[in-house]
Amino acid sequence: MPTPKIRFGAGAFAGAAVALWLTPAYPHAVCGDRIFPATLAIDDPGVTDELTLPTVSYVPFNSDSAHEWDASFSWTKTITPGLSVVIGSGPTWEHPGGYGWNALDTELQWQALCIPDAEFMFKLGFDISWAGTGTGMLAGSGGQNTYSPLVDFGLGFGTLPSSLSYFRPFAITGEFSTPTPGQDWTNGAPNVSTFNWGFTLQYSLPYFNAHVAEIDNDFIKHLVPVAEFSFQTPIHNGAVAGQTTTGYFQPGAVYITDKWQFALEAMVPTTGATGHGVGVIGSLDFYLDDIFPDTLGRPIFPHGLGIAPGI
Amino acid sequence: MHAFSPRILISLGFVFIAAPAFAHAQLEKATPPVGGTVASASELRLTFSEGVEPRFSGVTLTASGGANVPLGAPKVEGNDQRVLIVPIVKALAAGAYTVHWRAVSVDTHHTQGTFQFTVKP
Repeated sequence: MPTPKIRFGAGAFAGAAVALWLTPAYPHAVCGDRIFPATLAIDDPGVTDELTLPTVSYVPFNSDSAHEWDASFSWTKTITPGLSVVIGSGPTWEHPGGYGWNALDTELQWQALCIPDAEFMFKLGFDISWAGTGTGMLAGSGGQNTYSPLVDFGLGFGTLPSSLSYFRPFAITGEFSTPTPGQDWTNGAPNVSTFNWGFTLQYSLPYFNAHVAEIDNDFIKHLVPVAEFSFQTPIHNGAVAGQTTTGYFQPGAVYITDKWQFALEAMVPTTGATGHGVGVIGSLDFYLDDIFPDTLGRPIFPHGLGIAPGI
Repeated sequence: MHAFSPRILISLGFVFIAAPAFAHAQLEKATPPVGGTVASASELRLTFSEGVEPRFSGVTLTASGGANVPLGAPKVEGNDQRVLIVPIVKALAAGAYTVHWRAVSVDTHHTQGTFQFTVKP
């Protein structure tokens, strides 16, 4: 049985909607002393070469009370040091419901700012979910793309005074986006535009080990406990389609090394419309810029093009 | 579905295994220890997760009053490029000190960090 989102959105938006909360994991980012790990519900604020393969999630009862499995991949390739292209997709299984491959998703990202001493950075992005690239129950009508401008930011607390040193490993990241279908209606069915927003609160034990006090345990000093919050609020055609705000609270942890990371989080619905029951999501992420610094992980134009900062 | 085919996964596995072990150098361990207290210190010994280039890496040591403490030239320990050693020229007086390090790994990635230690009276 297809989800309500699919029934409402006969176009490409339908294919993308199911995966909005189950999007691929995102790259890590480095600014000053701070390393922002890849997170699962929202993007991180950096631009790097990265491969997420795979991200897998399970939700016991989604908004249709169906069991849902999702898998996905995401590859980020830098064009210049501050400009990258992301490509991702993946399959979804529902019971009852069926199987389908999500629409191909691409995003252009620009690292607009990094202030190393403040551990602050943000980036701008523009995402397109391409019509006609979904399959099976996610095929939709194939008539329209979905466009999403994005803003991502991150702030480490490393500038706190030494008297508050135990708070310095904290960091927050956030994301805002507005996925908008190319058409308001498709074959008489409304397509919903949404305001997506989310944030994370992180406590970096690698940062603690390097800046506050040494941790003897080799496993613990590579962990970043994280709590993610993500929400999707309809802003156009939501009432017509009968949609309300949905979202997840995702507590978990990231195990981070120099070249890869593994993240595991619970998925707790935050509204009744989201579904019920606690799901789980995990991902394996390879830092291509660290694994292949001279080839695959290097920007195509490593010195930039002189167009704008980082580009 | 092709993205998850065993052939591609196996190929990726070989590629990653064959990859050089270079990355962002993260501070794993320090002497004097991060946030620790010592009786004295004649050198700073910083152990990173990756090899670093001493010519392009740097360390400053600042006393609690803000004065810079003279340091010798950084060098790596023998064949282990992960360990950066910086001699402290003069004996340290009792008090709190701040270490600011900047490391350039052998693949030219930059990292930096700051920590404190204390020399007890």
